[in-house]
Amino acid sequence: MSSLKWIKVLLVFVICFVLQTTIAEWIQLFGAKPDFVIIMIVSIAIKFGPAAGCFWGFFAGFTQDVYGPVEWLGANSISMTVLGFLVGQLEERFLTLNLPMKLGVLGFGFFVHDMIYFLVTGLEKDVVTNLFLSETVPECLYTLIVAAIYFHLSIGKKKRNV
Amino acid sequence: MIRAFHFIVGIFSQKHGVVAFVFFLVLGLLMHKAPDTTRNNVVSVALGTVFYPAQMVISSVGQFRSVAHENEMLKEENARLRQETYYASEALQELARLHTLVRFDDKWDYPIVTARVVGHNPGRFLTTMVINRGTSRGVKEDMPVFSMNGLVGKVSKTTLTHSRVQLLVDPNLKLSVLERRTRVVGFLESVDGRTLSAMIPTHAGVKVGDTLITSGLGGIFPKGIPVGTVTKIRPADLEVMQLMDVVPFQEFSSLEEVFVMGKEAEWVIQELLDE
Repeated sequence: MSSLKWIKVLLVFVICFVLQTTIAEWIQLFGAKPDFVIIMIVSIAIKFGPAAGCFWGFFAGFTQDVYGPVEWLGANSISMTVLGFLVGQLEERFLTLNLPMKLGVLGFGFFVHDMIYFLVTGLEKDVVTNLFLSETVPECLYTLIVAAIYFHLSIGKKKRNV
Repeated sequence: MIRAFHFIVGIFSQKHGVVAFVFFLVLGLLMHKAPDTTRNNVVSVALGTVFYPAQMVISSVGQFRSVAHENEMLKEENARLRQETYYASEALQELARLHTLVRFDDKWDYPIVTARVVGHNPGRFLTTMVINRGTSRGVKEDMPVFSMNGLVGKVSKTTLTHSRVQLLVDPNLKLSVLERRTRVVGFLESVDGRTLSAMIPTHAGVKVGDTLITSGLGGIFPKGIPVGTVTKIRPADLEVMQLMDVVPFQEFSSLEEVFVMGKEAEWVIQELLDE
């Protein structure tokens, strides 16, 4: 990544967090809201690879951890780092992912992220099951819909540039 | 400087990102396993140096946008409050008479600090928020925080300029509540960081739709702040208790302004209860 790209990604990072704290609240459906931060980490990891995925994943997770319970500090950092690393293995330099594949990766990453988060926080099994059904599944579906629009636009833009 | 930066990035990118992965994973685990004081320091330093200034700027931009709308609302509210003041003054006179009759002296008489919410959790689990008032405005740890609708939480950490508020949905915040109709005391907590549940004795006959308020026990929250409504009743592990799902009166994610009650914790009460 060149210096200019780092600055661009930092800007995208800030925009995503602003979206998450503002627009995500306004467009929530039945309590479920899209996770712009996960879309961003998956996009960065696919575009720039596992190292960038880990770095921005850790940074994003830490930002969320700062506002979480102190006892859970590190839970988001760890789960986002793992997410960035795993998704980064499918870097665009080596593979070309179409829209359904990108969405599949995002959905898989979303579940992996939440499972690691629940594991690190040490929540009880029935609480995790309840959270998985009532929060993870609907929010993952909503995030996939938002991501489909974003990926569609970004793929279209790339084709026009080619 | 840029060379050094690229050198570090080069090291992290080695072995297809494994070096970066191990480094950040270990860093995350160290944070998670660190003692409470270290974790608190990490959060305070990060908030004070990076996140608070950044979110302060972002929320200021948002605030300018909402000023016109807020002004309109305040005008309407002002008109309504003028009418209510008349009725309130009448009611106060009546209350004073009743207080004298029953020798009632348990009233709120604490200074109120108005604060703006400048930091929300940018994740899906909202348990803490940051407000733009700190020790310079008299805010201290463990002071109750509430909104126009009801209880929000308590101040968990203060600095000179800002404070961290622990919301009711924080799994580490447990409080004593009172059911308004039956006057029975129970306790409220969140086990998953998202929903609230209350544990109340079965014999009390609490029903769906009943209202919970703070009980005044515990020494932090004064009695009578509205907390939430019971939406579902389930049996608890103990037969004598019932587990209740509670929806708070205040939706935490939409909070813009809160009030900090200048009430310091009365630990003497807590100590007496412990005995």
